[in-house]
Amino acid sequence: MSRNNIKILPGALVCEESKLRGDITIGSGTIVHPSATIIAEAGPIIIGECCLIEEQVKIIHRLPFDQQNKENTTPVLIIGSHNVFEVDCTVESPKIGNNNVFESKCYVGNKVTVSNGCIIGAGCRVTEEQILKENIIIFGSKCQMREGLDRPGLQTLQMETLSKMIPNYHHIKKPNKKV
Amino acid sequence: MSYITGPDVVKYACSCGLLKPISHLYFCRYCFQLRCSFCVCHEVDSNFCGKCSENIPSSEARVKKNRCGNCYVCPSCQQELSTRIASKGPVNPEDSKSTPKKMYYLSCQFCRWSSRDVGIPDQSTVTGGWPERENVHSNRLQELVDMYKAIVLAQKQQKDKDKKKQRGKFLSYTDRTGVTAAALRKRIGLPAEFTHPILKNKPKEPEPASAKTEVDEVPEQLLTEPINLMEITTVEQRLLQPEAQPVTVDKLFPVHKQLSIKRSLRCRHCEHNVSKPEYNPSSVKFKIQLFAYYHIPEIRIVTVEPLRAGKQCELIVKFTNPTQHQTTIAFLKLNMDEEDASLDSEVAEVIQDLDQTLSLQEKQQMSLTSLPLSTSQPSSLISVPSRQPSLTIEPRKISQEVNCDIEVPTSSFILPPRDDAAEYDDSGDTHNIQDDPKLVKWRKSNKAFIKLNVTPMSDLALNSEVVCGFIMQHIYTNTVASKEPQKYNHKVKVFLRLGQLVGSE
Repeated sequence: MSRNNIKILPGALVCEESKLRGDITIGSGTIVHPSATIIAEAGPIIIGECCLIEEQVKIIHRLPFDQQNKENTTPVLIIGSHNVFEVDCTVESPKIGNNNVFESKCYVGNKVTVSNGCIIGAGCRVTEEQILKENIIIFGSKCQMREGLDRPGLQTLQMETLSKMIPNYHHIKKPNKKV
Repeated sequence: MSYITGPDVVKYACSCGLLKPISHLYFCRYCFQLRCSFCVCHEVDSNFCGKCSENIPSSEARVKKNRCGNCYVCPSCQQELSTRIASKGPVNPEDSKSTPKKMYYLSCQFCRWSSRDVGIPDQSTVTGGWPERENVHSNRLQELVDMYKAIVLAQKQQKDKDKKKQRGKFLSYTDRTGVTAAALRKRIGLPAEFTHPILKNKPKEPEPASAKTEVDEVPEQLLTEPINLMEITTVEQRLLQPEAQPVTVDKLFPVHKQLSIKRSLRCRHCEHNVSKPEYNPSSVKFKIQLFAYYHIPEIRIVTVEPLRAGKQCELIVKFTNPTQHQTTIAFLKLNMDEEDASLDSEVAEVIQDLDQTLSLQEKQQMSLTSLPLSTSQPSSLISVPSRQPSLTIEPRKISQEVNCDIEVPTSSFILPPRDDAAEYDDSGDTHNIQDDPKLVKWRKSNKAFIKLNVTPMSDLALNSEVVCGFIMQHIYTNTVASKEPQKYNHKVKVFLRLGQLVGSE
């Protein structure tokens, strides 16, 4: 597990300065900024298509203490498509669906399963064991919860700009897998 | 900035007796007194909307109930709503050339609430014409307001009438004989009911609210169905719309943004402004800003040795001179029982060493204006000075308890004027100030680090907060009244919260 096994699919944009540890698969169209950290500690991480992982983001696959001793299976952290991880958020969730937004400086603990279309607001700390239903929005200093009408909009424009800009200023890890 | 000024460990006693950190105090340059928000007059200069930065005249603001007509806040999280564009398909789908129609809706960037959540249709104009919610009780409220207005009017008329009556020549005998009007009426056989003139022309009374004795039964689903907290509004959300008080989130409607005010603060004694903002709502500058931070030396605690009951320990405080004039700082012992008045009268005492220009007459005026403050007599007893204090407030007693003795230094020290360029000067400090080495540990430009010896009282309990206090006397250079700067000795009571008492080893 200590050996790094990074699989980058074509079309993904992974900066050389990002810290990737463990067995990680990054889907096409995903952008990983420099100084983002992805650590596959407990098992492999598979990141879907068109995710945006910004600076200082920490995605850590770490099991809760009570589940660490189960040796029979290695859990896989599957992160769906079109997720946005904003600057300096920490996500340890064991399962993440599609179209979620993790706003700046939020913290999602390793007992929280995130489904689809959820928004974790800036600075919100979610640690209690729970499954976030679809389109849940958490916001404010008291982590108030409400249900959104539909999924948050896609960041297509931002992603397009980034995919043009980042290669001009950063070294990019070459995709090493064929489709 | 708040991490520096936020923990208010050093407090200054305002002239009204309240203790505040220096960043919350004002300094009136005409009375030479500290003032705080509690002891100044607050005046509303202008109403404006914080979102669109539009000035709204006070009469218009009153009509609009102090709310902006164009801006809304989110009913879910109270942040400002922004207008977003959504393009709707072309007007007629057959014609490919027709541009897609732009529609607008309100959306909150913070909690992602949008006007679509509650089914408000998108609008075709930017400013909206968003549907206004009619208050269901508006008729009733209007009725009540009208009635009370009419009562006020009737009472006023009655008062005027009574005044006219009093001027009449005829005395009423009922007043002298002690026979009341009602008793008299009874005796002569008139109906005892006497309708008071106020009641006579009483306006039409609206239907009184009726109390219900029967209450609806508790709906059963409250007990049987699990509560979905996400559908129920919070107390804050309900109170944001007091007229509707929605219970469920699908009844949250955008709320007009409350207006903000710009206010000027006025010293109550001399009626000079101590703070006056610029009129323009988008400007954050001031026309007048007499903040104490710019006039009174600032004190900060640098280090303090562990505090032990009855043991002397060393305290190092930093003094900063914010003014453009050199000042000398001396310490005086704080006597809590002492009358505050002495402090006031001391301030008005003019030090005559340097200000020869001050004429005798002016001096008299100075002492006159200070008189009502120090003696707190009714101002009518004194011959009217040029600037009559509008209000005389007796300073309250300072409630802070001091449980730590301070060895008051006998020597004073000099603080050089503030020099903005000194920060960039690498040539080192070339001041030739003769310092008492026991008092001044170190100095740099307009700052000095002063060593004080404090002794917490020996009967203090463990972990109790140690507070010490002293009077700082500094020379304040006044440049307002005349061309020649005048110098005054100004005294401020300062209280320092040193921290908690620790055990003896």
